[in-house]
Amino acid sequence: MAFSSRGLVLLTLGAAGLWAAFELRLDPRDLVPSDGGMVMARELFSRAWSPALAYEAADVPAGTRPLLLKALEAARLTVVFAAAAISLSLVCGGILGFFASTAWWVGDQTGGAKVGWSRHGVRPVVYGVARLIIALMRSVHELLWAVLLLAAFGLSQLSAVIAIAIPYSGTFAKVFSEMLDEAPRDSAVALRSAGASSSQIFLFGLLPRALPDMSAYAFYRFECALRSSAILGFFGYPTLGYYIAASFENLYYGEVWTYLYTLVLLVVVADWWSGALRRRLVLA
Amino acid sequence: MSVDGRIAEVERLRRRRPRDRFARLSVWALVLLTLLAWSSEGLWSTDYFSPRRQQNLQRFLGELRPHPLQGQPFDVSVATAWAGEILSERGWEAARITLAMSVAAIVLASLAGLALTLTSARTHATSEPYLPGPRPPTRGQRWVWRAVVGASRLVLILIRSIPEYVWAFILLAVLGPNAWPVVLALALHNAGIVGKLTAEVVENLEPGPLRALRGVGAGRLQIAATGLFPLILPRFLLFFFYRWETCVREATVLGMLGITSLGFWIVDSRARNHYDEMFFFVLMGAGLVLIGDLVSAVAREVVRRAA
Repeated sequence: MAFSSRGLVLLTLGAAGLWAAFELRLDPRDLVPSDGGMVMARELFSRAWSPALAYEAADVPAGTRPLLLKALEAARLTVVFAAAAISLSLVCGGILGFFASTAWWVGDQTGGAKVGWSRHGVRPVVYGVARLIIALMRSVHELLWAVLLLAAFGLSQLSAVIAIAIPYSGTFAKVFSEMLDEAPRDSAVALRSAGASSSQIFLFGLLPRALPDMSAYAFYRFECALRSSAILGFFGYPTLGYYIAASFENLYYGEVWTYLYTLVLLVVVADWWSGALRRRLVLA
Repeated sequence: MSVDGRIAEVERLRRRRPRDRFARLSVWALVLLTLLAWSSEGLWSTDYFSPRRQQNLQRFLGELRPHPLQGQPFDVSVATAWAGEILSERGWEAARITLAMSVAAIVLASLAGLALTLTSARTHATSEPYLPGPRPPTRGQRWVWRAVVGASRLVLILIRSIPEYVWAFILLAVLGPNAWPVVLALALHNAGIVGKLTAEVVENLEPGPLRALRGVGAGRLQIAATGLFPLILPRFLLFFFYRWETCVREATVLGMLGITSLGFWIVDSRARNHYDEMFFFVLMGAGLVLIGDLVSAVAREVVRRAA
């Protein structure tokens, strides 16, 4: 980039930041908590090094499961929602992503001569509709889908899975279609010259070339799904977010950290897993 | 070669195809996890087709219609008047606040992310950046730099693995109801992501120009200002816009905690059982996200062309 354009870009971004600060009346003095806030912050963060291992409440009803078991159970449901949502979105997003890619209809799949638009028939329409559906699914956040589904069906675990799966399917479809379109065309060319049909070229020439990228991305989204699923707890599902909010509101700050660290552990493991996979599949 | 010979050759090639055991195990683990998840009985405990739920759904869908039009034939002028009133009362302001939150957050996140990049890129935060020094570093120096890198990577992981919503929830209790909790929550989480991605870019940089700067005696900050930042700027801007898209999405939602972005009015109208308004604000949020995605896509394309 030329120097002037670089300066201009940074200047614009800085100006946008200033506009936002004025619009929101962001005052640095508000960053200092009030006395009550300060006390709370001190109590909360002083427990960061000593998360609770047992309930902090004085009167725990007999027969309540131990805190750590409860955290484990919340973690299990968090993983269940995430895994179910990811598998559902892989199926829906995979199908949508196929139709939203240009690889299956523009030109001859090998990236060679392009055919005129009029020769494609309904295919551009299918492509356009797929793109539109993807944009609509993605543009509403999973928590808003959850609110809508809650209002329509009431609290149900399947609704939580579907709420995550809708925007995630859209994202998978968008990213997968781009990966299919950008995959190397060498095997497609070879298959074409051997006389393979379109579907054979797609299945054995294009898809395998994009598959490593696609699976690495799927694992990365699993990590995101874990966070989304934990957050759904704030809307009443007994995932980790539910207990974080409940313990926080009861001022049991040690328990807040127990649940928070459980979530961090889940996310860090998933992060390491997807990172290791990416290094092997994509960067190798 | 005979046909049989060729088939045998193909079979031989197939057997020799590169395989990664870790990748295969990962896929199987995910399949197993999926099966376990779907067999969790909680997922199947709801009967979506029970008459009560069907009735509830019918009622809900009916209430999505703007209330002056409920039970009436559709009339465009009434609908636009209804929408115009919501927009001028709260809608435009909420959309502007949502946008401002996302912009303030991504600017803060990128500044913090850049600062953390300098301490977490192994090529930069080391006792001998880019060139060996005149004297070999002492064991103490090496240990200190390793601790710096380790600590700042730990900070990056911690701030990004805690979701924005949880950050906002905690900060709101500490700082009280102004825009800071949402802006800071978004900034913290995204600083973790931007910092991680940029540190990877820095570690993979072609070291030539940076070596030259080091050779003429530039310090770490001088190298950063004159060599490092200009070199990573195009990639950095890609991350900036890519994360800004998600900030728009999240800023909408974080309003649910009580700051008057679009999300606030969504839960507010839901609490008052005004589902028509709720749906309208959800659509507004979707519109804002679509515009944000479009702006970001154009900006990233421009950056990619210029780079």
